[in-house]
Amino acid sequence: MSAVSPTLPAAGSTAAAGPITLTLPPIPTMVRVGRLTASSVASLADMSIDDIDDIKIAVSEMITVLIQSGSRTNITLRFETTATEFAVEATAPTPTNDLGRNDLALAIAVLEAVADQHHVASTDDRIMIRIVKRLSPIPTGSAPSTRA
Amino acid sequence: MEEVGKNESIRVLLEDKVVIAEGDIDLAGGPLLDAAIARVESTEPLVIDLAAVEFIDSSGLRSLLAASRRAESRGTRVVLRRPSSGVVRLLTITGTTEQFDVEEASPA
Repeated sequence: MSAVSPTLPAAGSTAAAGPITLTLPPIPTMVRVGRLTASSVASLADMSIDDIDDIKIAVSEMITVLIQSGSRTNITLRFETTATEFAVEATAPTPTNDLGRNDLALAIAVLEAVADQHHVASTDDRIMIRIVKRLSPIPTGSAPSTRA
Repeated sequence: MEEVGKNESIRVLLEDKVVIAEGDIDLAGGPLLDAAIARVESTEPLVIDLAAVEFIDSSGLRSLLAASRRAESRGTRVVLRRPSSGVVRLLTITGTTEQFDVEEASPA
């Protein structure tokens, strides 16, 4: 008989630590840095391998959109874990709030597929992208799942 | 086998007109892949070996889709050889698999 941990997810220590913030220069090589950092932070939340892969894809898309939107100053990534979800918010000042100038459709399609929620917003001088991944209870004694 | 491009994300090789990508096809890796593809584009099918691709995102996919559009304009196709599981997944979730001929998918 397998038991399910009654208190979810084994992310307590990460959640208690509060949000984690990373600042990156808006250059293409930093996409990988953001992705690898996201992978490490997500693993602290005891996410499955598949969910960590989803977070890596989402963060890559978020940083790429911000760079391609013309940001000339640093991109800020904020990771936050609660008892039920893992959220990532990426923001950057941009010279335009016209998201339509960029080919966002493919990136948005990817975010829709890999995140449980996503939100893209722009103001006069800033773009914000937020994604949320729900945390699943991990059955006691089970190994991380892999995607079929 | 000739190494035609390398940076922090990707290593791109050419062997018998086959483009071989290793590593990550992202905003940093895509331009090197584009440059390698441009060297071998012709009226023959363009083969890109993706077995060693560890990560791809939509910016990388755009490189492949652009190559596919150019190939179609020449009356030919892009062949994705042995796409890794990450490549297969991105093609699936974006509904772009049909833009390519896919050979020998690697086990997930």
